[in-house]
Amino acid sequence: MPPSGGAARARTFARAAALLTLLLAGPSVARAEPGSVPAGEAAVGLVRNFWDLVASQQGEDRTARPEPRAIEPAPQGAPPVDLGDLSNPSRVESRLKSALAPRDGAIRISVSQGRARLGDYRIGAADQIEGHLLVVQGDADVYGRLHGNLVTVEGDVIVHPGAVVTGDILTLGGMVHDMGGEIGGEARTLRHTSIVAPLRAVAAPQPSALETIGRRLAGVIGVFLTLAVLGFGLVMFARPNLEVISDTASHSFARAFVTGLLGQILVIPTFGMLIVGLVLSVAGILLLPFAVAVYALLVIVGALGGFLGVAHAMGETYTRRRMALGAMIGSPNSYRYLVVGLAAVAVLWLAWSLFGWVPVAGTLIGGAAFLATWLLATAGFGAALLSRAGIRENFAGRLIPPEALTDEYLWATPQFGVPAGRRPGGGRTPTRGL
Amino acid sequence: MHRIALAVLAIVAGATNASAQSMRSFDTFRQLHGETRLHATLDYRAGGLRITPGRANELYRMDASYDEDRYSPTSSYDAASGIVTLGLQPAGDGGLRVVSTRQLRQDATVAFAPSVDLDLALALGAVQADIELGGLSLTELTMEAGASQAVVRFSEPNLSRCRAAEITAGAAELTVLGLGNSRCDRFALEGGMGKVTLDFAGAWTSSTAADIKMAVGELTLRLPRKVGVRLTLDRFLVSFDPAGLVRTGNAFESPGYDGADRRLDIAVTTAVGGVKVEWVGGEESP
Repeated sequence: MPPSGGAARARTFARAAALLTLLLAGPSVARAEPGSVPAGEAAVGLVRNFWDLVASQQGEDRTARPEPRAIEPAPQGAPPVDLGDLSNPSRVESRLKSALAPRDGAIRISVSQGRARLGDYRIGAADQIEGHLLVVQGDADVYGRLHGNLVTVEGDVIVHPGAVVTGDILTLGGMVHDMGGEIGGEARTLRHTSIVAPLRAVAAPQPSALETIGRRLAGVIGVFLTLAVLGFGLVMFARPNLEVISDTASHSFARAFVTGLLGQILVIPTFGMLIVGLVLSVAGILLLPFAVAVYALLVIVGALGGFLGVAHAMGETYTRRRMALGAMIGSPNSYRYLVVGLAAVAVLWLAWSLFGWVPVAGTLIGGAAFLATWLLATAGFGAALLSRAGIRENFAGRLIPPEALTDEYLWATPQFGVPAGRRPGGGRTPTRGL
Repeated sequence: MHRIALAVLAIVAGATNASAQSMRSFDTFRQLHGETRLHATLDYRAGGLRITPGRANELYRMDASYDEDRYSPTSSYDAASGIVTLGLQPAGDGGLRVVSTRQLRQDATVAFAPSVDLDLALALGAVQADIELGGLSLTELTMEAGASQAVVRFSEPNLSRCRAAEITAGAAELTVLGLGNSRCDRFALEGGMGKVTLDFAGAWTSSTAADIKMAVGELTLRLPRKVGVRLTLDRFLVSFDPAGLVRTGNAFESPGYDGADRRLDIAVTTAVGGVKVEWVGGEESP
């Protein structure tokens, strides 16, 4: 199981502290007892601590190695791996990749004239090993003698002072640290191997159904809470725009959906055209980074604002219908509309969270939730585009502009002989952009 | 129009980058165990190459970054004969990819022990090479360059006496600097077409003969004032300015050539192009 955030953080601090201590203590120890700590040891420890620190920051735990043990020999019929010739590292890697493929959940490999180990391995100062050595997912610390070739898969080789490796060394996804030992042959390093990826897949236990449900629920709740917070911010600072987008989605849903669909298709070509257009001029090239950032921001705002607008529309429709049926609603405002709309969408995803692990049905529920969300997001994006981010009301069902609503209808219509008064503005009816 | 095409290419390259990235690192080295002689063959087909003097305790080292889909690193050493073969060999079929050259640019740095007598054979393809041979114990150099852009330097005097340095260049831009430090008895260049600059500056501990054959191109000779220079020119449609060399029979000689302690005899055969003489060290002309 991967370490929890707190544990990882604690470990990071511990490593940082250890590193600092080592840095500070290193010179004083060397001064106090020269020779008691070999220079190579301290350097290796320092390098390891450093990389452990870096790796833990990057989310990959180098120290999460399997328990050291011998790898069981390959079953009858499987040919042993020959590590006698390491001159072509790619070929050796390819051979090992197939030989180390897990069988029945475990790896088994036989090394011709040699042995294979899983996890960290150390050849003590008094040890002498005959034959080739393969170390998988672990470091090989050599203090003694190895009469043969040494290969590590995702692990370093550290040849300490006084150590002897008579043959070649090959590290696949590791490094060779020559700390002053003797390497009779050639030391080769091929970095970033993918040999152990399948092993990790085997080693990592599948989460239980309950764990899956918990993780998914947490994810869905987190996402919708974030959307709610963003929506509240939008209501607070850009309520008219949100309402126009919402009305556009309600009154022109089909048009908004088609527009959104076209918008999705044209997002990347438009971006390409923008880049090309800017590249054509010197000033444009200078503006390129800003244009890219602004474009990305606009697309995100459009998609997010549109989705929240649709959620608002859904909530408003539902609330009004309930009120029409005589239900007492405490405060029918935009905040409520948003919460109701988002909750409606969240219900689908919550269903997927709870039943997503069920074979077939889970996939169907997940697909339905995705499809519904995509439909709403597309319509919302289209509504945002049609209403120019809530600025234009043309498709929002507000056909009569407020200026046109005068109280003229209250006046008595003259039957005879009374001249009609002239309307202000030369008799034109205000159109407000229609 | 070009800009549009470039921009479209850049966008496509960016889009395909994620799937096309296949660069990998390969490092290799061998400790020095009392070897006195090394015959090194370096076969490098594409990318950037740097050769330098290495650490005193390592016989050789190569640090390479290569395109895994198209190349495979090679490094094999035969202890009995003292032959090492290094390089990047074509392997597999990477298919057609549209990416910027920087993204999949291969690079390698190769280093040799300064104290070991080195016979160096280089086979370069489409390579940008920066080769520093000064400070090594070079005993022989053979270099075959295809469509390369190479700079060969002898920034420091060669630690051994060099029998010969032979360079064959196809369509190349080649610059050899500090040939006076090479301590080579003989220097030969055979060029197809391109631009070649030969700088004979350096310590000059012995006399040297240079044989230069070029089909088409521009040859620049940077000659040191402190040695006697004799230039024999066999040319067809070639422009040549003696720039201070004096015609003596069929050759051009620098003043005081006969009495010089160190002599540089250059024989140039070229068909089309130009031969330019520049003087290095001291005054404008001898």
